[in-house]
Amino acid sequence: MTKLVGSFLVLLGAIFLFSAGLGMLRMPDAFTRIQAGTKASTLGNMLVLIGVAFYHPDWSLKLLIVVYFVLLTNPISSHALGRAAHAIRIPMTRATVTDALRDARDTDRSAS
Amino acid sequence: MRRAFNTLVVALFALLFASIAVTYTEQQTLPQLAAGYVKLIPEELGAPNVITGILLTYRGFDTLGEVAVLFMVAAGLGLVLGDSTRRRDAVPAESGAIVPSTELVRNGAAILFPLISIFAAYIIMNGHLSAGGGFQGGAIIASSVMLLLLANPEYLVDHDFLGVTESLAGVLYVLTGIAGLIFAGGFLDSRMLPLGQFGAFFSAGAIPIISVLLGIKVGCELSVIIDRFRG
Repeated sequence: MTKLVGSFLVLLGAIFLFSAGLGMLRMPDAFTRIQAGTKASTLGNMLVLIGVAFYHPDWSLKLLIVVYFVLLTNPISSHALGRAAHAIRIPMTRATVTDALRDARDTDRSAS
Repeated sequence: MRRAFNTLVVALFALLFASIAVTYTEQQTLPQLAAGYVKLIPEELGAPNVITGILLTYRGFDTLGEVAVLFMVAAGLGLVLGDSTRRRDAVPAESGAIVPSTELVRNGAAILFPLISIFAAYIIMNGHLSAGGGFQGGAIIASSVMLLLLANPEYLVDHDFLGVTESLAGVLYVLTGIAGLIFAGGFLDSRMLPLGQFGAFFSAGAIPIISVLLGIKVGCELSVIIDRFRG
Protein backbone atom coordinates (compact mmCIF):
# COMPACT_ATOMS: atom_id res chain seq x y z
CA MET A 1 0.00 0.00 0.00
CA THR A 2 2.76 2.47 0.90
CA LYS A 3 4.52 1.53 -2.34
CA LEU A 4 1.32 2.34 -4.25
CA VAL A 5 1.14 5.77 -2.60
CA GLY A 6 4.83 6.34 -3.33
CA SER A 7 4.42 5.33 -6.98
CA PHE A 8 1.42 7.62 -7.34
CA LEU A 9 3.39 10.56 -5.93
CA VAL A 10 6.33 9.87 -8.25
CA LEU A 11 3.95 9.67 -11.22
CA LEU A 12 2.29 12.94 -10.22
CA GLY A 13 5.72 14.55 -9.90
CA ALA A 14 6.68 13.24 -13.32
CA ILE A 15 3.53 14.79 -14.79
CA PHE A 16 4.44 18.15 -13.26
CA LEU A 17 8.02 17.88 -14.53
CA PHE A 18 6.67 17.02 -17.98
CA SER A 19 4.44 20.08 -17.92
CA ALA A 20 7.48 22.15 -16.89
CA GLY A 21 9.34 20.91 -19.95
CA LEU A 22 6.30 21.53 -22.14
CA GLY A 23 6.03 25.05 -20.76
CA MET A 24 9.68 25.75 -21.54
CA LEU A 25 9.07 24.73 -25.13
CA ARG A 26 5.68 26.28 -25.75
CA MET A 27 5.64 29.54 -23.78
CA PRO A 28 6.15 32.66 -25.89
CA ASP A 29 8.81 34.71 -24.02
CA ALA A 30 11.51 34.43 -21.38
CA PHE A 31 9.35 35.49 -18.42
CA THR A 32 6.50 33.09 -19.03
CA ARG A 33 9.02 30.31 -19.63
CA ILE A 34 10.74 31.05 -16.33
CA GLN A 35 7.51 30.93 -14.38
CA ALA A 36 6.32 27.75 -16.08
CA GLY A 37 9.66 26.04 -15.49
CA THR A 38 10.10 27.16 -11.89
CA LYS A 39 6.72 26.42 -10.40
CA ALA A 40 6.14 23.10 -12.10
CA SER A 41 9.69 21.80 -11.60
CA THR A 42 9.80 22.79 -7.92
CA LEU A 43 6.56 20.97 -7.19
CA GLY A 44 7.48 18.06 -9.47
CA ASN A 45 10.86 17.60 -7.79
CA MET A 46 9.32 17.68 -4.34
CA LEU A 47 6.63 15.16 -5.26
CA VAL A 48 9.17 12.75 -6.78
CA LEU A 49 11.42 13.00 -3.70
CA ILE A 50 8.50 12.49 -1.31
CA GLY A 51 7.42 9.51 -3.39
CA VAL A 52 10.90 8.02 -3.11
CA ALA A 53 10.72 8.53 0.66
CA PHE A 54 7.73 6.15 0.71
CA TYR A 55 9.86 3.50 -0.98
CA HIS A 56 12.89 3.97 1.27
CA PRO A 57 11.75 5.28 4.68
CA ASP A 58 15.35 5.21 5.95
CA TRP A 59 16.32 7.83 3.37
CA SER A 60 13.66 10.26 4.62
CA LEU A 61 15.98 12.71 6.37
CA LYS A 62 18.36 12.97 3.42
CA LEU A 63 15.45 13.43 1.01
CA LEU A 64 14.04 16.12 3.29
CA ILE A 65 17.36 17.97 3.06
CA VAL A 66 17.25 17.69 -0.74
CA VAL A 67 13.66 19.03 -0.74
CA TYR A 68 14.78 21.94 1.45
CA PHE A 69 17.64 22.66 -0.93
CA VAL A 70 15.34 22.61 -3.99
CA LEU A 71 12.80 24.79 -2.21
CA LEU A 72 15.54 27.27 -1.34
CA THR A 73 17.44 27.45 -4.62
CA ASN A 74 14.90 26.97 -7.39
CA PRO A 75 12.64 29.99 -6.73
CA ILE A 76 15.53 32.31 -5.82
CA SER A 77 17.54 31.49 -8.94
CA SER A 78 14.49 31.99 -11.15
CA HIS A 79 13.78 35.25 -9.36
CA ALA A 80 17.33 36.43 -10.08
CA LEU A 81 17.11 35.27 -13.71
CA GLY A 82 13.80 37.03 -14.21
CA ARG A 83 15.08 40.27 -12.69
CA ALA A 84 18.20 40.09 -14.84
CA ALA A 85 16.13 39.51 -17.97
CA HIS A 86 13.95 42.48 -17.06
CA ALA A 87 16.97 44.67 -16.33
CA ILE A 88 18.49 44.13 -19.78
CA ARG A 89 15.03 44.70 -21.33
CA ILE A 90 14.30 41.31 -22.84
CA PRO A 91 11.10 41.94 -24.81
CA MET A 92 7.83 40.56 -23.46
CA THR A 93 5.20 38.83 -25.48
CA ARG A 94 2.47 41.07 -26.81
CA ALA A 95 -0.19 39.43 -24.67
CA THR A 96 1.45 40.80 -21.50
CA VAL A 97 -0.44 43.89 -20.36
CA THR A 98 1.08 44.83 -17.00
CA ASP A 99 4.69 45.25 -15.94
CA ALA A 100 4.58 45.80 -12.17
CA LEU A 101 8.37 45.91 -11.81
CA ARG A 102 8.71 48.73 -14.34
CA ASP A 103 5.81 50.62 -12.76
CA ALA A 104 7.40 50.30 -9.32
CA ARG A 105 10.73 51.52 -10.66
CA ASP A 106 9.06 54.48 -12.38
CA THR A 107 7.26 55.54 -9.20
CA ASP A 108 10.55 55.20 -7.31
CA ARG A 109 12.29 57.42 -9.81
CA SER A 110 9.58 60.08 -9.89
CA ALA A 111 9.43 60.12 -6.07
CA SER A 112 13.15 60.68 -5.61
CA MET B 1 24.33 21.19 -51.54
CA ARG B 2 25.01 22.29 -48.02
CA ARG B 3 22.07 20.34 -46.71
CA ALA B 4 23.28 17.19 -48.45
CA PHE B 5 26.70 17.68 -46.90
CA ASN B 6 25.21 18.12 -43.44
CA THR B 7 23.12 15.01 -43.86
CA LEU B 8 26.20 13.11 -44.94
CA VAL B 9 28.16 14.26 -41.87
CA VAL B 10 25.31 13.34 -39.55
CA ALA B 11 24.98 9.93 -41.22
CA LEU B 12 28.72 9.31 -40.85
CA PHE B 13 28.62 10.25 -37.17
CA ALA B 14 25.60 8.00 -36.69
CA LEU B 15 27.51 5.15 -38.32
CA LEU B 16 30.54 5.80 -36.12
CA PHE B 17 28.60 5.93 -32.85
CA ALA B 18 26.38 3.02 -33.86
CA SER B 19 29.45 0.85 -34.43
CA ILE B 20 30.77 1.84 -31.00
CA ALA B 21 27.41 1.18 -29.33
CA VAL B 22 26.93 -2.18 -31.05
CA THR B 23 30.39 -3.55 -30.40
CA TYR B 24 30.48 -2.35 -26.78
CA THR B 25 30.34 -5.09 -24.20
CA GLU B 26 30.44 -4.56 -20.46
CA GLN B 27 33.63 -5.97 -18.98
CA GLN B 28 32.68 -8.64 -16.50
CA THR B 29 36.02 -8.82 -14.71
CA LEU B 30 38.50 -6.11 -13.73
CA PRO B 31 41.77 -5.83 -15.62
CA GLN B 32 44.68 -7.39 -13.79
CA LEU B 33 46.20 -4.10 -12.61
CA ALA B 34 42.88 -2.72 -11.35
CA ALA B 35 42.10 -5.96 -9.57
CA GLY B 36 45.46 -5.76 -7.85
CA TYR B 37 44.79 -2.24 -6.57
CA VAL B 38 41.22 -3.07 -5.51
CA LYS B 39 42.61 -5.90 -3.37
CA LEU B 40 45.73 -4.10 -2.18
CA ILE B 41 44.36 -0.73 -1.01
CA PRO B 42 41.77 -1.88 1.57
CA GLU B 43 44.37 -4.30 2.96
CA GLU B 44 47.41 -2.07 2.98
CA LEU B 45 45.94 1.42 3.49
CA GLY B 46 42.60 0.61 5.14
CA ALA B 47 40.67 2.91 2.78
CA PRO B 48 37.41 1.65 1.21
CA ASN B 49 37.72 4.29 -1.54
CA VAL B 50 40.38 2.89 -3.83
CA ILE B 51 40.75 6.07 -5.90
CA THR B 52 41.52 8.25 -2.89
CA GLY B 53 44.04 5.66 -1.75
CA ILE B 54 45.83 5.82 -5.09
CA LEU B 55 45.67 9.61 -5.41
CA LEU B 56 46.77 10.49 -1.89
CA THR B 57 49.24 7.76 -1.07
CA TYR B 58 50.69 5.91 -4.06
CA ARG B 59 50.54 9.02 -6.22
CA GLY B 60 50.64 11.65 -3.49
CA PHE B 61 53.67 13.33 -5.05
CA ASP B 62 51.78 13.61 -8.33
CA THR B 63 48.84 15.22 -6.50
CA LEU B 64 51.27 17.74 -5.00
CA GLY B 65 52.31 18.57 -8.56
CA GLU B 66 48.68 19.05 -9.61
CA VAL B 67 48.08 21.46 -6.74
CA ALA B 68 51.25 23.31 -7.71
CA VAL B 69 49.87 23.66 -11.25
CA LEU B 70 46.67 25.13 -9.80
CA PHE B 71 48.76 27.54 -7.74
CA MET B 72 50.62 28.61 -10.87
CA VAL B 73 47.30 29.20 -12.65
CA ALA B 74 46.19 31.47 -9.80
CA ALA B 75 49.51 33.33 -9.80
CA GLY B 76 49.52 33.65 -13.60
CA LEU B 77 45.98 35.00 -13.62
CA GLY B 78 47.01 37.53 -11.00
CA LEU B 79 49.84 38.61 -13.26
CA VAL B 80 47.69 38.84 -16.41
CA LEU B 81 44.42 40.15 -15.05
CA GLY B 82 46.01 42.32 -12.37
CA ASP B 83 44.71 43.37 -9.01
CA SER B 84 40.93 43.45 -9.33
CA THR B 85 40.46 45.88 -6.42
CA ARG B 86 42.59 48.52 -8.09
CA ARG B 87 40.65 48.28 -11.34
CA ARG B 88 37.29 48.52 -9.61
CA ASP B 89 38.25 51.86 -8.11
CA ALA B 90 38.90 53.21 -11.58
CA VAL B 91 35.31 52.48 -12.67
CA PRO B 92 32.91 55.19 -11.49
CA ALA B 93 30.63 53.72 -8.85
CA GLU B 94 27.50 55.56 -10.00
CA SER B 95 27.39 54.31 -13.57
CA GLY B 96 23.70 53.44 -13.19
CA ALA B 97 23.90 50.29 -15.31
CA ILE B 98 24.48 48.07 -12.27
CA VAL B 99 21.21 46.93 -10.73
CA PRO B 100 21.81 45.90 -7.12
CA SER B 101 20.73 42.37 -6.24
CA THR B 102 17.49 42.08 -4.33
CA GLU B 103 17.02 41.22 -0.69
CA LEU B 104 15.80 37.74 -1.67
CA VAL B 105 19.01 36.93 -3.52
CA ARG B 106 21.29 38.30 -0.79
CA ASN B 107 19.49 36.51 2.02
CA GLY B 108 19.20 33.31 0.01
CA ALA B 109 22.95 33.32 -0.58
CA ALA B 110 23.55 34.02 3.12
CA ILE B 111 21.45 30.97 4.04
CA LEU B 112 22.97 28.74 1.38
CA PHE B 113 26.61 29.62 2.07
CA PRO B 114 26.91 27.71 5.38
CA LEU B 115 24.97 24.76 3.94
CA ILE B 116 27.36 24.49 1.00
CA SER B 117 30.34 24.83 3.34
CA ILE B 118 29.05 22.00 5.52
CA PHE B 119 28.56 19.87 2.43
CA ALA B 120 32.12 20.65 1.32
CA ALA B 121 33.46 19.63 4.75
CA TYR B 122 31.47 16.40 4.52
CA ILE B 123 32.88 15.63 1.07
CA ILE B 124 36.43 16.32 2.21
CA MET B 125 36.19 14.33 5.45
CA ASN B 126 34.60 11.31 3.78
CA GLY B 127 37.15 11.16 0.97
CA HIS B 128 38.61 7.88 2.22
CA LEU B 129 35.17 6.26 2.70
CA SER B 130 33.04 7.27 -0.28
CA ALA B 131 33.22 9.30 -3.45
CA GLY B 132 34.88 12.63 -2.81
CA GLY B 133 38.07 13.96 -1.36
CA GLY B 134 40.17 17.09 -1.15
CA PHE B 135 39.94 18.25 -4.74
CA GLN B 136 36.18 17.82 -5.02
CA GLY B 137 35.49 19.41 -1.63
CA GLY B 138 37.78 22.31 -2.47
CA ALA B 139 35.85 22.90 -5.68
CA ILE B 140 32.62 23.02 -3.66
CA ILE B 141 34.15 25.58 -1.28
CA ALA B 142 35.06 27.70 -4.28
CA SER B 143 31.50 27.37 -5.63
CA SER B 144 30.14 28.78 -2.35
CA VAL B 145 32.51 31.74 -2.69
CA MET B 146 31.26 32.17 -6.25
CA LEU B 147 27.67 32.22 -4.97
CA LEU B 148 28.59 35.02 -2.54
CA LEU B 149 30.21 36.97 -5.36
CA LEU B 150 27.20 36.52 -7.64
CA ALA B 151 24.72 37.54 -4.96
CA ASN B 152 26.74 40.52 -3.82
CA PRO B 153 29.14 41.88 -6.46
CA GLU B 154 30.66 44.31 -3.95
CA TYR B 155 31.77 41.45 -1.72
CA LEU B 156 35.49 41.77 -1.17
CA VAL B 157 37.46 38.54 -1.09
CA ASP B 158 40.31 38.74 1.41
CA HIS B 159 43.26 37.80 -0.79
CA ASP B 160 45.80 38.05 2.01
CA PHE B 161 43.89 35.65 4.24
CA LEU B 162 43.35 33.20 1.39
CA GLY B 163 46.99 33.41 0.38
CA VAL B 164 48.29 32.78 3.90
CA THR B 165 45.85 29.89 4.49
CA GLU B 166 46.73 28.34 1.17
CA SER B 167 50.47 28.59 1.77
CA LEU B 168 50.09 27.14 5.28
CA ALA B 169 48.11 24.20 3.93
CA GLY B 170 50.74 23.67 1.24
CA VAL B 171 53.61 23.73 3.75
CA LEU B 172 51.77 21.31 6.05
CA TYR B 173 51.08 19.05 3.06
CA VAL B 174 54.78 18.84 2.24
CA LEU B 175 55.65 18.36 5.93
CA THR B 176 53.13 15.49 6.09
CA GLY B 177 54.83 14.02 3.07
CA ILE B 178 58.25 14.24 4.74
CA ALA B 179 56.80 12.73 7.92
CA GLY B 180 55.69 9.81 5.75
CA LEU B 181 59.26 9.57 4.49
CA ILE B 182 60.56 9.35 8.07
CA PHE B 183 57.93 7.26 9.88
CA ALA B 184 56.71 5.00 7.05
CA GLY B 185 57.67 3.73 3.63
CA GLY B 186 57.92 6.87 1.52
CA PHE B 187 56.80 10.40 0.65
CA LEU B 188 53.16 10.89 1.77
CA ASP B 189 52.89 7.29 2.92
CA SER B 190 49.65 7.36 4.91
CA ARG B 191 50.62 4.40 7.08
CA MET B 192 52.54 6.61 9.51
CA LEU B 193 49.35 6.75 11.60
CA PRO B 194 47.46 3.65 12.78
CA LEU B 195 45.02 2.41 10.16
CA GLY B 196 42.18 2.07 12.65
CA GLN B 197 39.00 0.15 12.04
CA PHE B 198 38.19 -0.41 8.37
CA GLY B 199 35.35 1.88 7.25
CA ALA B 200 35.32 4.06 10.38
CA PHE B 201 35.39 7.86 10.21
CA PHE B 202 38.87 8.10 11.73
CA SER B 203 40.70 5.44 9.80
CA ALA B 204 42.98 4.87 6.83
CA GLY B 205 46.02 6.38 8.52
CA ALA B 206 46.92 9.89 7.44
CA ILE B 207 44.60 10.01 4.40
CA PRO B 208 41.94 12.20 6.13
CA ILE B 209 44.63 14.70 7.20
CA ILE B 210 46.08 14.88 3.69
CA SER B 211 42.53 15.21 2.35
CA VAL B 212 41.76 18.18 4.61
CA LEU B 213 44.99 19.98 3.73
CA LEU B 214 44.35 19.38 0.04
CA GLY B 215 40.75 20.60 0.36
CA ILE B 216 41.81 23.84 2.07
CA LYS B 217 44.53 24.47 -0.48
CA VAL B 218 42.34 23.78 -3.52
CA GLY B 219 39.44 25.77 -2.07
CA CYS B 220 41.62 28.84 -1.48
CA GLU B 221 43.27 28.62 -4.89
CA LEU B 222 40.01 28.24 -6.82
CA SER B 223 38.40 31.07 -4.81
CA VAL B 224 41.27 33.37 -5.77
CA ILE B 225 40.96 32.30 -9.43
CA ILE B 226 37.20 33.01 -9.43
CA ASP B 227 37.76 36.39 -7.82
CA ARG B 228 40.41 37.27 -10.40
CA PHE B 229 37.91 36.72 -13.19
CA ARG B 230 35.44 39.15 -11.65
CA GLY B 231 37.45 42.03 -13.05
